[in-house]
Amino acid sequence: MMDDLRIDLIDSAASTPGEPAPQPRDTRRQFLGQTLAVGGATIFAGGVFVAALPRLAVSAPSPAQDAEILNFALLLEYIESAFFTEASVKGNLSGELLEFADVVRGHERAHVAFLRGALGNKARKQPKLEFGDATREPGAFTAAAVALEDLAVSAYNGQAGNLTKGTLEAAAKIVSVEARHAGWIRAIAGKNPAPAATEEPLTAKQVTAAVAKTGWVKTS
Amino acid sequence: MGEDELTIDNTPSELTLAQVDSDGALQEALAAVDSRAAFLGKAALGGAAFLAALSVPEPAEGAVSASDAAILNFALTLEYLQAAFYTETERNKAVKAELARVPRQLGAVERAHVTALQDVLGRRAVKRPAFNFQGVTEDQVKFLKTAVAFEDLGAAAYKGQATRVDSPALLAAAVAIHSVEARHAAWMRYLAGFTPAGRAFDEGKPEFAVRRIVASTRFIVARPRTTRRRRPRFTG
Repeated sequence: MMDDLRIDLIDSAASTPGEPAPQPRDTRRQFLGQTLAVGGATIFAGGVFVAALPRLAVSAPSPAQDAEILNFALLLEYIESAFFTEASVKGNLSGELLEFADVVRGHERAHVAFLRGALGNKARKQPKLEFGDATREPGAFTAAAVALEDLAVSAYNGQAGNLTKGTLEAAAKIVSVEARHAGWIRAIAGKNPAPAATEEPLTAKQVTAAVAKTGWVKTS
Repeated sequence: MGEDELTIDNTPSELTLAQVDSDGALQEALAAVDSRAAFLGKAALGGAAFLAALSVPEPAEGAVSASDAAILNFALTLEYLQAAFYTETERNKAVKAELARVPRQLGAVERAHVTALQDVLGRRAVKRPAFNFQGVTEDQVKFLKTAVAFEDLGAAAYKGQATRVDSPALLAAAVAIHSVEARHAAWMRYLAGFTPAGRAFDEGKPEFAVRRIVASTRFIVARPRTTRRRRPRFTG
């Protein structure tokens, strides 16, 4: 039985640039509260995400299910795109962090465009997003960026078995870029870029819970 | 520059690794190190999680289709190559100070991948080839550039197989390794001074392309004879 939430995917808050990389397993739990407190830890109760959830278990792939999953991915890409765009504009970032944000926002925008194109008129709208300090202060930005990129990798991996082959092929081209982002920001932050030999996938429900706890999403 | 050479994207041609100097080549017996560290990697770095992801408590050979076994053996060959590369670099102490943890960590991880794939394949697992890394495990700069090329190649190779895997459990395992290879690629690129994420979409590589690149490195060499005693050339 998995935890409600994969703690190691959101273990970012206590890390600041220059700090030595923590060991993978020992101190994760204490990070949890800090990271997720950023957004006020409001449970996103509107039912918006639940309605958009792909099936939680592996079920027979179909074009209709692909669309559901891609819309789920699109929400994450909207968040990433807006997050890195806002941070690179007003995040008081410099040096490596600014370079990272500038490069990554371009990638996330391209992912949004790709998914919207694939979904056509089924594409969900971008929600209203408020990131608070995470796009205004470099330390908060770094912690949030690590959490967000780790989350995206696990979210895509968790859906691999639910996709038709064609959509899987496309998703695979995105997920490794998210993994590169995750490795990159972790290296900048002085955290272990690849703390496990195999990546733990997350179900849509787990991803949705993690997103909800950030409090960043204000409307559907 | 030929497509079938192990190269680093967006970098000048002198980083091509296919024609690296073969001086100082090592022929190391890695088996002893592997068995010790495979245990370590499995316990500490997620090899057990990999097996759990397979949902095959006692992987039986019959549980893996012939097509999937071929894919897994292809992956195993790459993991042998990576594991031997990092293990040999660590043993050579070629990488100093802060960077010393790089071959140590990646060696343990790639050995864990080897062990996990071997466990699934059972007797169908291909044998470990012999390697001659032609000096790249003895020099920090060459090591890093080779690591970049290996990890980019590993990510592209797993991606190239993702849509070909039959078993959902094996697909789950393959994607769980795929993104770790991509993390490694970004990390090695960061350390080597290359952009960790050069484009918005990563392309996969088909097996034949990956094998051609691996062959071009000449890192995999003819397997040493099991008996040291050479037979006379002419036996009359």
